[in-house]
Amino acid sequence: MACLVACLITTNRAATWSTLGAMKIFLSVLLLFVCLASVGASAQDDDLGPKGLAVKVVAAPVVTVVQGKPGTVPLTFRVASGYHINSNMPKSEFLIPTVLKVEANTDMVIGKITYPEGQDMSFAFDPDEKLNVYTGDFNVEVLVRPLHTAQSGKYVIRGTLKYQACDNKACYPPKTLPVSFDVKIAKAPPAHHANPAQSPDAHQ
Amino acid sequence: MKRNPLILFFVAAIVAVMLSVGVRMARNHGIRPTPGQLMGNVAPDFQLPTLDGKQLRLSDLRGKAVLLNFWATYCEPCKVEMPWFVELQQQYGPQGFQIVGVTMDDASNADIAKFTKAMGINYPILIGQDSVGESYGGLSVLPTTFFLDRDGKLIAREFGLQSRSVFVDHINKALSQGQAVQAQK
Repeated sequence: MACLVACLITTNRAATWSTLGAMKIFLSVLLLFVCLASVGASAQDDDLGPKGLAVKVVAAPVVTVVQGKPGTVPLTFRVASGYHINSNMPKSEFLIPTVLKVEANTDMVIGKITYPEGQDMSFAFDPDEKLNVYTGDFNVEVLVRPLHTAQSGKYVIRGTLKYQACDNKACYPPKTLPVSFDVKIAKAPPAHHANPAQSPDAHQ
Repeated sequence: MKRNPLILFFVAAIVAVMLSVGVRMARNHGIRPTPGQLMGNVAPDFQLPTLDGKQLRLSDLRGKAVLLNFWATYCEPCKVEMPWFVELQQQYGPQGFQIVGVTMDDASNADIAKFTKAMGINYPILIGQDSVGESYGGLSVLPTTFFLDRDGKLIAREFGLQSRSVFVDHINKALSQGQAVQAQK
């Protein structure tokens, strides 16, 4: 896209500067061809393995949590079609589990991370063996609890999802997907002090 | 001077193609060959530690047909191939055939040894390094298997799990090629 914009700009200028017009046209056509050739080359370079990451974050809603109270952030990940990744509890000790790591935060306690159960599936490479995997969309929940002293406002929490993907024929090296989500901390309502002297019942 | 836009277009296209080819050649030179570029050439040599603490240099196997298998303990398709490799090593070993496994994962040597013992591996397992993987095209897929003839030249490669018969075909081809074979004839 950047290449196309550059070409259009160059061509536009070529129209106004008649003395250098031919050179400008030449350069813009050259630029367009170089861009097309480089796109083709990069497509060829990536002909093995997943095109980029096999897993991506598809939903990380902003969750509002009150100071001092716990809240759950649901994160939705998507495994690309045709691939599977091990669940958080794979059946073999040699398989690499899917693990979300969330960075510590000074204003918020990061609590338990809850993973979904994987599906027991067998694949073409070994129809007799079932693996516990995630395919398609899966949700991971992160428990957060802002400190009582935390300032209200929006906080960005960062982490990584480590996974290892395979398809029906081959496996790919473990990858680490950067993950970030926002948590909005709201002020806790003023504490209600039960004072019998000010109770409506006291005036009756 | 009036210039024909069509001529300018073709000249620009030719220059662009030349530039693109040049950039690709420069990119590939000295950084990472593609597996396709390796075919027909002598396999990149390396020396790696074996699981039992020795060292093995690939070029020391010159004169033998070699199946070079890059794998990992986390790779289930790799696991499917291994019993075939055990059989093929037994069957073709006396004819001058050698399988070499190179593990490309981060598991400890103890875990790798446990895994290979459970699989009954009867061929050397080397502890791989990224630099070796790079010299063979980057190994973005496991298993990746290369076949070397008796002169150490790469004659075939396979990405991902293949059928046993594909391996047998490549092994027979590897055993029948190379100067050592020509000298015998």
